[in-house]
Amino acid sequence: MNPDHITFDNVSRFYGEVLGVNRITLSIPPGITSLVGPNGSGKTTLLNLMTGLIHPTEGDVRVLGIEPRDPRKLFRVVGYSTQFDSFPRGSTGRQFIYSFLRLFGYPSSKASVLTAEALDVVHLTDAADRKIAGYSKGMRQRVKLAQAIAHDPQVLVLDEPLNGLDPLVRAETLNLFRKFASQGKHVFVSTHILHEVDMISDQFILMSNGYVVAEGQIQDVRSEIREHPMQVTIRCKQPNALASKVFEMEHVVEVRLHPDGKGVLVLTRAADLFYRRLNHIAMGDFGIESIAPADDTVKSVYEYLIGEESQR
Amino acid sequence: MITEFWTQMIAVIRIELTKTFFARRSIWIYLLALLPASLFYANSIYARREHERLARVASEHPLRKEVLRSIRPGLTVDQVVQTLGEPYRKNSREFWNGRPPQRHERLTYFYTDGEVEFMFFINDGVVRNLGRGGASQTLPQLLLVFASVYQLYFIRLAIFFGCAGIFTNLIRGEMLDKSLHFYLLAPIPRPVLVAGKYVAGLFATAVIFSASTALQFYALLRGFDSATVHEYMQRDGWNHVAAYMGISMLACAAYGSIFLAAGLVAKNPAIIAALLLLWESVNAFIPGSLKMASVVFYLQSLCPIEAPPDVTIPPALLALVAPVERVGTFTGIAVMASLSLVALVGSGLLSRKLEINYSAD
Repeated sequence: MNPDHITFDNVSRFYGEVLGVNRITLSIPPGITSLVGPNGSGKTTLLNLMTGLIHPTEGDVRVLGIEPRDPRKLFRVVGYSTQFDSFPRGSTGRQFIYSFLRLFGYPSSKASVLTAEALDVVHLTDAADRKIAGYSKGMRQRVKLAQAIAHDPQVLVLDEPLNGLDPLVRAETLNLFRKFASQGKHVFVSTHILHEVDMISDQFILMSNGYVVAEGQIQDVRSEIREHPMQVTIRCKQPNALASKVFEMEHVVEVRLHPDGKGVLVLTRAADLFYRRLNHIAMGDFGIESIAPADDTVKSVYEYLIGEESQR
Repeated sequence: MITEFWTQMIAVIRIELTKTFFARRSIWIYLLALLPASLFYANSIYARREHERLARVASEHPLRKEVLRSIRPGLTVDQVVQTLGEPYRKNSREFWNGRPPQRHERLTYFYTDGEVEFMFFINDGVVRNLGRGGASQTLPQLLLVFASVYQLYFIRLAIFFGCAGIFTNLIRGEMLDKSLHFYLLAPIPRPVLVAGKYVAGLFATAVIFSASTALQFYALLRGFDSATVHEYMQRDGWNHVAAYMGISMLACAAYGSIFLAAGLVAKNPAIIAALLLLWESVNAFIPGSLKMASVVFYLQSLCPIEAPPDVTIPPALLALVAPVERVGTFTGIAVMASLSLVALVGSGLLSRKLEINYSAD
């Protein structure tokens, strides 16, 4: 067991007869990990298991080697921003964070300083002394984020943290996640905003119906999906000639001209072989400007493995 | 580690106290607690006015108690007037009775010795009934009324429901508000969290209900002159006040621990509260040692004044007032303290299995 990892060892959780998650085995390294899946797939159950808010029916969960049943150790290293959009009655943003930090045993002065810092990070300083009940959805998301990061945890667990955030704050929040990850910390994000997952994730976990359908780095997962040909976009000056040339390869199943006439989309069943052959082709007079995979995104993988209809 | 737990517990207590004392949902608990005090206060205002009125009348028509007590049924109206003089007030009413109906006259003559109002009901010129009215309450009588109100209303209803409201909300209320998880996301052992919540609830209820007890005493005594009050306080008063306040706190501790546990084990602790109320109410009718399996039995045993059997309480309710056999003070306190401790430790253990599953609650 790696003490730097978050591990799930054959973990199952049932709610009576209803399946929450089943036989989950994972070992998650530091970095940004995105948890994606349709509604009811077990994402929140997984996060709650990780943070001890619920306990597994079977199996064992460890967060940096700590058992989630031990809150005294766990929450020194874990900060969790839940999906629950409810707060202690009558609290202001500052009171909420300050009270939470006092539960850690911090003296008043330190709790005040940490509160101010956390609120500053999420740009809520001006609204800190207003009642949370009067906050917008985005502000409530930010105050939850502030609560999660206030004690500078090693593991940041975030359930749909980008919901309700405007584009500017969303970009700043993603930068914050990157900053956390760059310090060797865990950022574990449950989200359904798939294109942003691609932008920030070091690895992802795809869940469906309580099972982990896929996990790892997106390119690795994509290359394992053999029933869907890999898509590669090639921008070039001679798309017609290039289309003809690449279609000579037996593993290429389809070549489409780009609508703007400045490139082709190639669908191949052997991406590695295709890239090797492409190195030779690129030396020809096709004016190739760029080569980029077109569907090794979380969105594509999600659609291939779970189906577009189930996407949130 | 102990210091850390203590700091965390104080943090929990501070949060909970703010919520309990200043929450809008606590208003009805304040009303429950203040109701008997306000009734005693209203009674004291009435009693004072009556005292003043009767004293004023007595100064104009001075009469001694012994003379007033010499009036018996069967005396004629003339004999009454001859003995006491003209009444300071009289009512007259005519009515028809018999076959064939005949006209009768009913007179009510009012006299006073300055403390008690005597009423003589005279039918057709002959005294038929005697009555007492006005500020006839003496301090010992009112203390008996207090004992009944305390045992019948204050312990059984006000403290019971007050504790149910506050202590079940400590866990279950936060589940319903979907805010309990914030506590569970802090590095605080759950038994410490539960203990902190219990202490906060106990402090709040003890302050509210023991203050109400003291206030009731103040309101009760307010209707009497300072000499009477001074004499009573020097004799038994302070002991009574301290005992009743202590019983109020003990009731909060015992009921509070039960309701805290109920909030942990039941999705709807109101059902447990209803069952407990039923048990506490029928307990007086249960024979033998089963009686001792109730909180109210020990609390009643500790009361310094037994609720009177002769007050104007319906017989069915009278059985609820006094336990058949009282236990000693030490036993009563020890049992209540032990019950609270056991329920609290049980709650602490239960809290370790607590899960946040708001959608199921």
